[in-house]
Amino acid sequence: MTLDFVEPVVFGVLAAGVIVAGAAVVLINRITAAALLMAFTFLCMAGMFVLLGAETIAAFQVLIYVGAITVLILYGVMFTPQADRPYALFFQKQTPLAGVVVAAAAIPVLLLSFSFVGAVPKPGGDDLPALATSVFVDFAFPFEVASVLLLAAMVGAIVLVKRDEDSEARR
Amino acid sequence: MPVGPFGLDPLVWLPIRLLIAVGLALFLILNGALLQIYLERKIQAAMQDRIGPYHVGPFGLLQTFADAIKLIAKEDVRARLTDPYFFIAAPALVFTPMLASWAVLPFAHDVVGADLNIGLLYLTTLGSMTVLGIVIAGWASNNKYAIVGGLRSAGQLISYEVPQILALVSVVLVVGSLSMVDITRSQAGPLVNVLVLPFSFALYFISALAETNRTPFDLPEAESELVAGWLTEYSGMRWGTMLALSEYGEVTVVCSIMTTLWFGGWQGPGVDVAPLLGVLWFTLKVYAFVLIFMWIRATLPRMRIDQLMSFCWKGLIPLALLNILLVAVLLMAFPDTRIPVAIASWALLLGFVAGVPYVQRRRLATLRARARAGQVPAHAAKAG
Amino acid sequence: MSVPLGAFIAVSATLFFIGTAGVLVRRNAVVILMCVELMLNAANLALVAFSRRYGAVDERGSVFVVFVFVIAAAEVAVGLAIVLSAYRNRPTVDVDEIRAMKG
Repeated sequence: MTLDFVEPVVFGVLAAGVIVAGAAVVLINRITAAALLMAFTFLCMAGMFVLLGAETIAAFQVLIYVGAITVLILYGVMFTPQADRPYALFFQKQTPLAGVVVAAAAIPVLLLSFSFVGAVPKPGGDDLPALATSVFVDFAFPFEVASVLLLAAMVGAIVLVKRDEDSEARR
Repeated sequence: MPVGPFGLDPLVWLPIRLLIAVGLALFLILNGALLQIYLERKIQAAMQDRIGPYHVGPFGLLQTFADAIKLIAKEDVRARLTDPYFFIAAPALVFTPMLASWAVLPFAHDVVGADLNIGLLYLTTLGSMTVLGIVIAGWASNNKYAIVGGLRSAGQLISYEVPQILALVSVVLVVGSLSMVDITRSQAGPLVNVLVLPFSFALYFISALAETNRTPFDLPEAESELVAGWLTEYSGMRWGTMLALSEYGEVTVVCSIMTTLWFGGWQGPGVDVAPLLGVLWFTLKVYAFVLIFMWIRATLPRMRIDQLMSFCWKGLIPLALLNILLVAVLLMAFPDTRIPVAIASWALLLGFVAGVPYVQRRRLATLRARARAGQVPAHAAKAG
Repeated sequence: MSVPLGAFIAVSATLFFIGTAGVLVRRNAVVILMCVELMLNAANLALVAFSRRYGAVDERGSVFVVFVFVIAAAEVAVGLAIVLSAYRNRPTVDVDEIRAMKG
């Protein structure tokens, strides 16, 4: 008896978590629940990364998606009205068209995806040195561009949300 | 067929090992929380010229046990308009990341749950997950004090995470590893990291106070302004899990990180002969920091929310970036010696300690002058 | 016995199309942002899986995941800022109701 069966079982659980929680984000009408389920999807996705042997990516995934993005989105949820329209999901004119478009794109891609039969290497871990070398040596210039992008996003977000002091005084 | 320890099949051994590890961590967290609450009461009492708990047991030692039994036996109160699922889920969301972070703390030589090669990253990751539970607790309580506390907490924790992680980076640059065990091993002998990088330690210490919601940064649960912040609607063991267990466990985790990164972890006299002596050294160092946290709590007043934010974004983060730049450049320029890094870091620390009162006095003077000239409303001038 | 690459890609594709359907169907701007995050994350899974399978020496594929993280963080910050400032002008986050730029 060996531990070989553990990996597919863990994969099955994580895949079910990702897909069910992801579908629930789209289907559930309560936005706070949707945000929490999105965080759950991200956590399951981090588990997938660990299964693939990319623990560094998994750690960054949790740090950025669960720790920062979900909290930001919860901020957004709490500053805006919470109820979506009750008929938001199935009784509007885009729904049939959206279903057709998504199905037309999804079915070929899903069929194609099962043609990759090769096994993923066993999780050996230690992807950190290779990742660090790639980011800071081979991709140093895109890394700098990414930091400029972050700075621009930060300034842009502040400018967009900052209240104008004059209009505030007039109100 | 592979055989694990004690002649057990790995399939049997691994779940048992997991159970033992989790049980041990829970045991340590529960007892640590009881001990720290007792210490906190006694120390604050001593500083405020009181006696503190003394009825139950010798020196009141059993007081916190009695309190814990009371919390467990309390009725489980839940207001009608709270959100049923999130209200129950929030304490678990706060507690679980803290519990999981005990897995990588190195208590002694080879006494560590898992020697991850990304141990430090793992710890910061779990530290950032706590925010989610706090925001959910605040929102689910359906109470305006709770939601203000929760949102304040989210802003504070996300902001102070930045200088915290940036302070860790300089240690990682010097040591060259993210593994907690490697970081401890690199500090054999008296030359611990705090002598090389005192400034990043100071930055980490300040942001750790904010991350664990301790005074002077305990705004999320400011009792005198917000009732109890995001904890307002919680009572009984839910409150106990969130506040007592999670907060004190988090304090222990943060103090362990400081011990491991800057003060040599379990290294100390005699660990080469008896490796288990490391547990003693580690515990002593951690509790020294815990006592400093309590000392600060009994001494300092609480900051205001805008002071808190501007201190982080205009003070700590630029200084942390400057620190990383200096450490990285000096390490590249002098790869063989750490003396230039140490000199730069001590200079930054002295500059910081000397500069804060100076900058503060200048700001106060300009604000007062502007208020006298009638340019800004008076409440803004009081800001300081 | 180990998990084939196709299974990871299938999960990734499923999540991506769930996100697409969400963007097309939901009308709340915050939920649309969430669905975009789901799509970005699905792409991450495919990148990491392919990188583990075909990346010979280094983690070239995973590097792009790091850049996707950066873009996701920037996107959610700017997106939420836009949603909040739109909400300030007109008290709704329903993307069907926000049509000031419509001719």
